[in-house]
Amino acid sequence: MINKSTLLTLSQQGVFFKTSLPTFLIVKMNLIQQNKKPIWQTPWQYSESIFIVLGIYLVGVALQLFLGTFKFSNIVWPVNIIVGLTSLVFVVLLSLKRKSHFFYWLSAAPLSISLIALLIMQTIIMGLTPQISGQLTERPDVFDILGFTRMTSSWPFVLTMFFTIIALCAAIVNRLKTPIWKDYAFYLNHVGLLVFLFAAGYGAADMKRYVMYVEVGNEIPEWRVYNDKKDVLDLPLAIKLNDFVLEEYAPKLAIIHRETGKAIPYEAPVYFQIDSLKLRTSIGDWDIEVHEFIAEAMRESDKSYRKVPMPGACPAANVTVINKKNKQKYTGWVSCGNFAQLYMPLTLTNDYSLVMTRPEAKRFASYVDVITASGQQESAVIEVNKPFTVESWNIYQYGYDTDTGKASSYSSFELVYDPWINLVYAGIFIFSIGCFCMFWIGNNKRRKGKND
Amino acid sequence: MINWNNFLVFAIPTILSWVLASVIFTFSKKNKLGLFFSIFGLFIFGSFIVLLWVNLGRPPMRTMGETRLLYSFFLVATGLLSYLKWRYKWLVSYSLVMAMVFVFINILKPEIHSKNLMPALQSIWFVPHVTAYILSYSILGAATIVGVKQLFQFNKKEDAELMDFTDNLVYIGFGLLMLGMLMGAVWAKAAWGHYWSWDPKETWAFITAAAYLFYIHLRLSNKYRKIALWYLVFAFIMLMITWKGVNYLPSAKNSIHVYTD
Ligand code: HEM
Repeated sequence: MINKSTLLTLSQQGVFFKTSLPTFLIVKMNLIQQNKKPIWQTPWQYSESIFIVLGIYLVGVALQLFLGTFKFSNIVWPVNIIVGLTSLVFVVLLSLKRKSHFFYWLSAAPLSISLIALLIMQTIIMGLTPQISGQLTERPDVFDILGFTRMTSSWPFVLTMFFTIIALCAAIVNRLKTPIWKDYAFYLNHVGLLVFLFAAGYGAADMKRYVMYVEVGNEIPEWRVYNDKKDVLDLPLAIKLNDFVLEEYAPKLAIIHRETGKAIPYEAPVYFQIDSLKLRTSIGDWDIEVHEFIAEAMRESDKSYRKVPMPGACPAANVTVINKKNKQKYTGWVSCGNFAQLYMPLTLTNDYSLVMTRPEAKRFASYVDVITASGQQESAVIEVNKPFTVESWNIYQYGYDTDTGKASSYSSFELVYDPWINLVYAGIFIFSIGCFCMFWIGNNKRRKGKND
Repeated sequence: MINWNNFLVFAIPTILSWVLASVIFTFSKKNKLGLFFSIFGLFIFGSFIVLLWVNLGRPPMRTMGETRLLYSFFLVATGLLSYLKWRYKWLVSYSLVMAMVFVFINILKPEIHSKNLMPALQSIWFVPHVTAYILSYSILGAATIVGVKQLFQFNKKEDAELMDFTDNLVYIGFGLLMLGMLMGAVWAKAAWGHYWSWDPKETWAFITAAAYLFYIHLRLSNKYRKIALWYLVFAFIMLMITWKGVNYLPSAKNSIHVYTD
């Protein structure tokens, strides 16, 4: 006998929509016998899901204790694709078995929600614990041993991700058995996320990242790189650095307390950006006027500066500072200095000085020739946000010698090899379309009872 | 030229018209007048943002003070838009009050602004990435307000329509949150060579996203409404930690996302 409240309960639990009608009836018959079902009796719901998810976590902890952190290098190609596809096939086969309670549980919300909760808990711990990379410290503490300090490669985390991908897979397969095209947003979001997690998770092992330091003007191309353990490796790829350019913003002026070095006003320090359009300002009780600004200056024998565009030149400004209260006037040169020249403050009183800050980098770029193993040679300009791609390698501008700045004798590059990247982008693309759909779909399914 | 020194000139008329609007919405039936004053305030406030943008020569999205400006703006804009669809007067008042709190913070604790963008930030993804996030934060903020209201009246007169409204706001906010995150990932790939590197801000952004994902899936069944509503408050706390709190965490010392003040 089907009574209304059982039906309502079932539909509220989403069972009706996740199961085909015959299964739904069987499930319902089971439920009619007793109102509250004891744990472990099918269909599994929240209690079972929470228990199993906790079990997954404990297994992860055990593996972590016995094996140490998870080594992604163990799942490099083709292991990752085998494990990934096997779990996918497993889910599909399971879905073909008729009336499999296990599959319905695997594809239903309670398990997904429990897994997401476990992910949240682990990432919160991760967000509160400073993460370290590389080797385990000499004397690991409890956090190290449990994997909290390298969360993303701890066994519990990896296992949680693994099962999340399986649950996500099951949810999609389940819906695809009887596709409802009105639920396009569901498919886009879940398939996009699945593709992304699959490529990013399983692909993580295949990614290689190295840093290469190349000397400016060296005729012999560089092919040695460092990995994250600082081992030197040879690559089938070489880079010749023809030129390195660095553009800087104009520096800023500030008035600091001479002893503490703190800029005034203390509660909201003012840094005045030197700008050809704005040459006057006031900070606190002081009026400041910039008479002359030289971006590349060298100090003369006295305290003045002269324009000399050469390595070792630094910015300098000729300024007048007037105290608003006593009309005292101070004029002189200030400079932030660099690796070759001392900085030059303008002393105002016993307590205060006017100083110039070191300029910030605006753009830095490397003019390179890239030579591949096949003998191909290409010229390129590589800068931040503008990497260069050659044969599955992406070459990124990484750094330079910040002490010498413009005069840096080298430029460093990050070389990233990521064969899965296109799949990652495909996932991101599908997922983004799904996210747009979130704007108008709303939670408008009228499957829910209005009130309990 | 408009800079932060002129903020008061814009903030005071904004606050006056928003206070007026809240009073009208709360105590009278002259909704059109309330709407007028809200929009008028929003217009003045928006002008400041635009002029500041012009003067800075870059979108005002880099520092805490600047993101607070946008937050106030979009909070009121969201409140007004949802009023046009759902006719909840109290929501407009709440969003006005919330927005004013942020305006006051900016008056009392304005933050100094560097005009310079470091090279990694000079990207076409910068503006859409930050806009999507700020917009989503405002909408999820609104969702939290609606959720808390529902929670307070839960045992007396639970409102199914309000519950749907909460869900819809979360859906929209979450969509924007994910778009912001995905654009950030594409950008990070171009700037740093990897789309996701579990930087502390990224870790907390993941937590926030997962928290709202949890809510969305919990709400697929109508069974656990009260838990879901409490949970929404928790999710918003996670969001606030991502937005404001990360800077103070010991785990975030080297984060690339920490705002420069
Ligand atoms: C960890 C990854 C995820 C898992 C394991 C998961 C799992 C599930 C499950 C089991 C359902 C219920 C399906 C059903 O009733 O047949 C569902 C529904 C849903 N999920 Fe997810 N999901 C995940 C990620 C997402 C994401 C990222 C979004 C949003 C962007 C999302 C949005 C939705 C929506 C909107 C529904 C309801 C669909 C509808 O009723 O048409 N899910 N998900």
